[in-house]
Amino acid sequence: MSAILSVCHLGPTPYREGLALQQALVSRRAAARDAAPGGAEATDWLLFPDHPPVLTMGRGGSERSLRVSRESLAARGVEWFEVARGGDLTWHGPGQLVGYPIVDLEPRGRDLHRYLRDLEEVLILALERWGIPARRVPGRTGVWAGEEKIASLGIAVRHWVGYHGFALNVSPDLGFFELIHPCGLRGIHMTSVASRLGASAPTLDQTRREVAELLARRLGYDGIRWVPAEEVRNQATGIETSTVTSAMAHHAA
Amino acid sequence: MPISIVVPQLGGSVAEGTVSKWLKQVGERVRKDEPLVEIQTDKINVELPSPAEGVLEAITVPEGATVLVGTEIGVLGSTAGDDAAAPATALSVAAASAPAVPLSGAGAAPAIAPVMTPPPASAPAEVPAVVPAAGGDSAREGNLSPAVRKLMREHAVAMSEIAAIRGSGLAGRVSRDDLLEYLKGRATPPSATTAGTPSPGPALRAPAAALAAPAAALPGLAPAAPFAPAGPREELIPFSKVRKLIAENMVRARRTAAHTHCFDETDMSAIVALRREWAPRLEAQGVHLTYMPFFIKAAVLALKEFPWVNGEVRGEAMVVKRYYHIGIAVGREEKGLIVPNLKDCDRKNLVQLAGEVNDLAARARADRLRPDEIAGGTFSITNAGVYGALNSAPVINVPEVAILGVHKIAERPVARGGQVVVRPMMNVAIGFDHRVVDGELAVKFLRRVCELLERPELLWFYA
Repeated sequence: MSAILSVCHLGPTPYREGLALQQALVSRRAAARDAAPGGAEATDWLLFPDHPPVLTMGRGGSERSLRVSRESLAARGVEWFEVARGGDLTWHGPGQLVGYPIVDLEPRGRDLHRYLRDLEEVLILALERWGIPARRVPGRTGVWAGEEKIASLGIAVRHWVGYHGFALNVSPDLGFFELIHPCGLRGIHMTSVASRLGASAPTLDQTRREVAELLARRLGYDGIRWVPAEEVRNQATGIETSTVTSAMAHHAA
Repeated sequence: MPISIVVPQLGGSVAEGTVSKWLKQVGERVRKDEPLVEIQTDKINVELPSPAEGVLEAITVPEGATVLVGTEIGVLGSTAGDDAAAPATALSVAAASAPAVPLSGAGAAPAIAPVMTPPPASAPAEVPAVVPAAGGDSAREGNLSPAVRKLMREHAVAMSEIAAIRGSGLAGRVSRDDLLEYLKGRATPPSATTAGTPSPGPALRAPAAALAAPAAALPGLAPAAPFAPAGPREELIPFSKVRKLIAENMVRARRTAAHTHCFDETDMSAIVALRREWAPRLEAQGVHLTYMPFFIKAAVLALKEFPWVNGEVRGEAMVVKRYYHIGIAVGREEKGLIVPNLKDCDRKNLVQLAGEVNDLAARARADRLRPDEIAGGTFSITNAGVYGALNSAPVINVPEVAILGVHKIAERPVARGGQVVVRPMMNVAIGFDHRVVDGELAVKFLRRVCELLERPELLWFYA
């Protein structure tokens, strides 16, 4: 398993670009593993994009989870995507900590539920660190504060590399969730760190750092390396036009 | 040779997966490692790469259906010169192997019929030719217009039927007119069970079968009578197989045994001290010491002294057992309670019991129990204390006749020799079948368990 987790705050990232970036890194991650299993040059990633308001629907979803018309979304400035991740409809946007771990699941025995439980645990530990008691609800993947949902999960796996990830409500406009039945669950209220803690709530930047550290620890990395967004974008676009071999050379260079 | 595409093992706790999307159509070529189909479990969607280069020859489980790990969901044929022969082989293989049993309750069999079982009269070679053309881009409900979907609901049309219609729309999509035309020729819905659930989504998925019998027929899973669907702010969660068994057992227990309970309390000072002293030593040997082995030890000796508590009612007779297979209730969150038993607890020392209890509980949580471990128990212990319970009235694990409930050990002020002192106290409970165990016997048995825990040295003298 790679010893170091590469972490990047991507900054403003349209959803489409974030998706392409993830897919490129997934391909590269899988190619690196297949070329040199367990090789040190293969690194897992944790990306933090700042998405403009967007609704994304996973494979477990249906448009019945949408409470307004598709047509009205554009007028509200909300984009719409159907993606190959697990889970139902959800919202992403400003004030939310969206995290995309790009993790090789081969050395983790392809144990998908364990991976989900680990991600939940990271968020629960983070929330408890900030003084918000958080928990799982059996059968309802995600993280809950009391009876309200505070973080959502939806994972995709390609070539046994996991991507997509989690969305923790730090200080978003919770009104956006009125557009949908989050995760297809009716009568579910969403909450956020800010609405629980008020003025003492941590900033998005603080939450990002803590979640990155907790995730690296939980998933067994030796440490994290913060990578500038520019570098990630360059690397990801590099792979798209090159073969696996040259990508390896590029990476080694 | 055709290759069977199966749902792979996706982790210890994953017993089933839902086919979320076929990325190739029947008849389409696929390269080795190219994504072929997506499977969803919980909130993870996995792309399965093709195991080899070839042509997708059959889809045996349609999108939206939930199947057990290991179930065949499609067949991949080779691309080499034997194109003409391939379909025939593939179909005979598909027919010979046990047919996949989609677990999505409603209309599972009709749903796969158009692809899997062509009418006997039609030549096998026709299948790849017909199937990919029909249905076109309509394979996903999301690709259908609202008008079509409304019609589907009104006439209880399954997605499988749509897939079989040759659409006139863009990319072969099925239009409202196509569907109306189809409905004219359709006498009755394929089966009553299809009604109301055109595309069984994950929310309506039916449960996993017992792990011992993958891909076996699952009689009685479909509800006998239709039930009301979930209303607004409600969610319908069908029982898993395990949940169903628990429900049946609990109702049977409540119906057959004359349930009665009584309660006592015990001073755990001695056991707490023993455990505090021994846990680090055993930990060094790789054995994690909990309180459960002490409870088992105490219970077994008390059972020897009160043999009727370790029995079973058979007809109008009482069977007293001289062996001690002690069941331990293991909570497994959403997977449901299970009570595996440890064999011959009277012949094992505390360290052996500690190791075996941990192993049994771990395997219970990982669905790795052997069938004999969940049958043949003689008496059970349930520890609601691990969740913080101070007391409980446990249900008997029938056909056993009694169950011991142990609880949270809490420091409480108690009177000792006229003084108030603080002691680690624990409430204990016994649920017993009053048909054979009278209150007197139950109380004496329970008191004896308490004494053995309060004075572990008694085990030296009487065990």
